[in-house]
Amino acid sequence: MSGKNKTIQEKMNDLAGQVAWFDGDEFTLEAAIEKFKNAEALATEIETDLGALKNDITVLKQRFDTET
Amino acid sequence: MENVLLSVSDFVDLTNQTLEYAYPSVSIEGEVTEFKVSQGKWVYFNLKDESSVVGCFMSVWQLRVPIENGMKVVIQGAPKLTKWGRFSITVRAIRPSGEGAIKKSFDLLKATLEKEGLFAPERKRQLPRIPRSVAVVSSTEAAGYADFVKIVNDRWGGLAIQVAHVQVQGESAPDQMIRALHYLNEQETLPEVIILLRGGGSADDLAAFNDEKLVRAIAASRVPTMVAVGHEVDETLADYVADVRAATPSNAAQLLVPDRRDIIRSVRQQTVSLLPAMSQAIERASRTMNEQLQGALHTIERRMELASQTLGSQQQLLGQLNPETVLARGYALLRGKQNVGEMIEVETAKVIVKAEVKNVRKK
Repeated sequence: MSGKNKTIQEKMNDLAGQVAWFDGDEFTLEAAIEKFKNAEALATEIETDLGALKNDITVLKQRFDTET
Repeated sequence: MENVLLSVSDFVDLTNQTLEYAYPSVSIEGEVTEFKVSQGKWVYFNLKDESSVVGCFMSVWQLRVPIENGMKVVIQGAPKLTKWGRFSITVRAIRPSGEGAIKKSFDLLKATLEKEGLFAPERKRQLPRIPRSVAVVSSTEAAGYADFVKIVNDRWGGLAIQVAHVQVQGESAPDQMIRALHYLNEQETLPEVIILLRGGGSADDLAAFNDEKLVRAIAASRVPTMVAVGHEVDETLADYVADVRAATPSNAAQLLVPDRRDIIRSVRQQTVSLLPAMSQAIERASRTMNEQLQGALHTIERRMELASQTLGSQQQLLGQLNPETVLARGYALLRGKQNVGEMIEVETAKVIVKAEVKNVRKK
């Protein structure tokens, strides 16, 4: 499945790749079941990641009101 | 000072000290006349109203917006008596005043920058679809900033946002924003996007975003820029030069990051869309298998029929070869030695006869 260190964008790219496999020439029914389970798990993982992410806002200490 | 005898220079110095003490900084509104730039360095003009005129002097680098004769302006500066005995205002800052003058100055600078190609579409850089590191140049007290943060947090997560707190209106705003832009562009690890934000305001409030040096600093930014100033109808030169123009700070948040709810919907849809593909594949496989089974059954039937036909003809042949069949046709089967005096056995279809050989002759 997906690596834990991957970004959401990378995971979404992975998912798109897995979905595309179903339309490709390598499609086999045996592999499809496994691929489908993986895609479903990856989708759940992305959903969880998205829900948990928070932004980190830092106001710079640097002052801009005077020439340094 | 009444009976003090002064030299001319001392008088000028004394007058300037008095002026500096009494009027360290004055703001004057008036109409520009006799505007001229000398040696590409110095700017001279008069400021007048219905009844009075005062001379003004400033350096070219302090001129942040285009000025021309007839334009109504507000200057900030200090009065001074020159050593040639001329009274003038040494100008520190000048800005157009009133809607007409602001518009005129805006149009002049816009035309200049457009001619230089600063607004050309081919200069525009794309922002990353989902940035991870962004920088915001804004006042943290501004309503526009609060709107931006609220919507970004609502839509997406995982962003590292650096905020350069600056003034976004007033005389020092352009320089503060320029310093922030320089600072962010000189970082070891650059942000992926720099966003300049401020909420709505009057034309005068937004004037900082028409400052020529700021516009050029945005154009020179190594990092792609987004500008979101005022409301949808407001337009500033910073908007034109930015890689991406957002109509409002809220819109900047929408353009910056996707909505996580849309992504979740799309991700769900992607996996759901696989189910028909699976069903179709199963159906196809099942159909192929049935067709193959049907084919096999036909083959078996054909072969059985063929075998049955073969068996029938062989049975027929076998029947013809059966001695009983021959006997039934009236023939007899003879057993024993065919010599005179020998006993032989004669079998017909119905009886078996024992007989003695009486005579043998050759045919």
